[in-house]
Amino acid sequence: MEITELINPENIKLDLLSSAKEEAIGELAQLLFNSGFIKDKEEVVKAALIREKEFTTGVGLEVAIPHAKSSFVIKPGVAFGRSRKGLEWDTVDGLPPKLIFLIVVPTDAHDQHLQVLAQISRKIIHDDVREKLLQALEAESILETLK
Amino acid sequence: MKIVAITNCPTGIAHTYMAAEALEKAAKELGVEIKVETQGSIGVENELTTSDIAEAHSVLIASGVATDLSRFKDKAVIEWPVGKIINEAKEAVNAAINAKAKTPTGEVSEAQESFTDSLSHKGSGLLKHLFTGISYMIPIVATGGLLIAISFLWGLNPPEGSFGATINTLGGAALSFMIPIMTAFIAYSIADRPGIAPGLVMGYLSVNVIGAGFLGGIVGGLLAGYIALFLKKVKLPQALSGISVVLFIPLITTVVGGLLMIYVIGSPIAGLMTALNNALTNLSTTSMVILGAVMGLMTAFDMGGPFDKVAYTFSVGLLAEGITAPMAANMAAGMTPALGLALATVLFRNRFTQQEREAGKVAWALGACFITEGAIPFAASDPLRVLPATMLGSAVAGALSMLFGCTLAAPHGGIFAILIPKAVGNVLLYVLAIVIGAVVTALTVNFTKSIGKKS
Repeated sequence: MEITELINPENIKLDLLSSAKEEAIGELAQLLFNSGFIKDKEEVVKAALIREKEFTTGVGLEVAIPHAKSSFVIKPGVAFGRSRKGLEWDTVDGLPPKLIFLIVVPTDAHDQHLQVLAQISRKIIHDDVREKLLQALEAESILETLK
Repeated sequence: MKIVAITNCPTGIAHTYMAAEALEKAAKELGVEIKVETQGSIGVENELTTSDIAEAHSVLIASGVATDLSRFKDKAVIEWPVGKIINEAKEAVNAAINAKAKTPTGEVSEAQESFTDSLSHKGSGLLKHLFTGISYMIPIVATGGLLIAISFLWGLNPPEGSFGATINTLGGAALSFMIPIMTAFIAYSIADRPGIAPGLVMGYLSVNVIGAGFLGGIVGGLLAGYIALFLKKVKLPQALSGISVVLFIPLITTVVGGLLMIYVIGSPIAGLMTALNNALTNLSTTSMVILGAVMGLMTAFDMGGPFDKVAYTFSVGLLAEGITAPMAANMAAGMTPALGLALATVLFRNRFTQQEREAGKVAWALGACFITEGAIPFAASDPLRVLPATMLGSAVAGALSMLFGCTLAAPHGGIFAILIPKAVGNVLLYVLAIVIGAVVTALTVNFTKSIGKKS
């Protein structure tokens, strides 16, 4: 399967309006709601925040990967948002995250989707990938980088 | 230098894989070899083999949930929170590089040795899969067995609806899952999640349909696991691959494995049981002592399987006719395997793994209550060394019980039956027969477990 089944230009916001964690997750969830990945924005945000309480998904490297596994998710997907000045987020290295990936998975996700999500997760670790994501001028080049 | 690592996290969606990638990247930069097993929602991938672990300098665990460390007994283990490792991968790998190898303690290394020995002997990870099944089975044996034992406090035959009967029902419910849990997790160990459903079915078939007991369960678990593993490699059309793990593999495995169990393994067993029953009837007209010994061999050979079942039903049948000596021999033979092995875990600690020593503590109670299943975790993990010992001990106990002219009027109860006045004839000699049988089992297992070891 193609990564484009999980993330498309509609799920990408190059400049997030929010300045803090909860609103940013909401902003990204709205994208996923608009493009038909989830059926209830509030429930998905709630699931992501509950997950966040176990331990922060602000994994360092200016990256945060909030994720929600919920029955309110229609199909697995990823929304990407970028914040130039970084978000208020309790991260492991104290640096505010600039690259936010909201990952949503239905409770009965198939292996294939999970495998693609795993690939994306692995990509983000590399400095050149993050650099490109920070520099990208349009949604298409974000997609290209994550492929 | 080589390092092995495991990454996992509660949802298994993102951290597991980011951490794995971060560790691989950091290891590359630091010039060490690393192999990272990911335990995510896809299941276990890039699984560490016994030889990976053997070669590794140390083990790095990046975990967000409880991780089973039993594979790494004599290795230095560094644990790092998975949430932090993405940012601190280099520090974590450095810590693993600088970790001092744990000096293996004598007893652990010996138990490990017997484990790896048998592994190389069998030429595959067969035993690892058995061990996985057994480790998940032990809690249910202990729970069910102890509940039944406790229910005897209300008498051997508590009236229906009474509290004692309810506790007994709880214990029976738990024990009925014992073999299915073992087979499910043997299959899980081989084929991961798709193995669980067919594994459960094979376990149920072995116990409730073809009556093949735990030995049949081991066969069923391996069947389910390897069939599912094979099917995982089958390439399916794109449209079907999504349902492969949830439907295709479990369904086909259950059908193929189930038919093999019922027709290839089940039919001969039914014939065997008839033949055994006839043989016992013939024996009972010649020598009671030999009958006791033979029933002992049968009881301890498959503990709940066809041989045991024939011996038990035969004794219970005679009980109805007022012939009580075979029942006594049968119960003595059914108590000694667990008692003897429990004794062996105390006398010969070094012969057993930590897990077996824990199981040994419960086995005391189970053996004393004539719950022969208490010996199964030991027998399933090393049948060729354990079964001869339990069979010899039970044969001795059964023969002695006959020789001493002991009788028993109840078909169950163990020590609780012994404590009831007049339930057992020649009670002191009866206890002696059981004790001797248990000692024989313990001494024999100490000997058999010393065979086939590298110095």
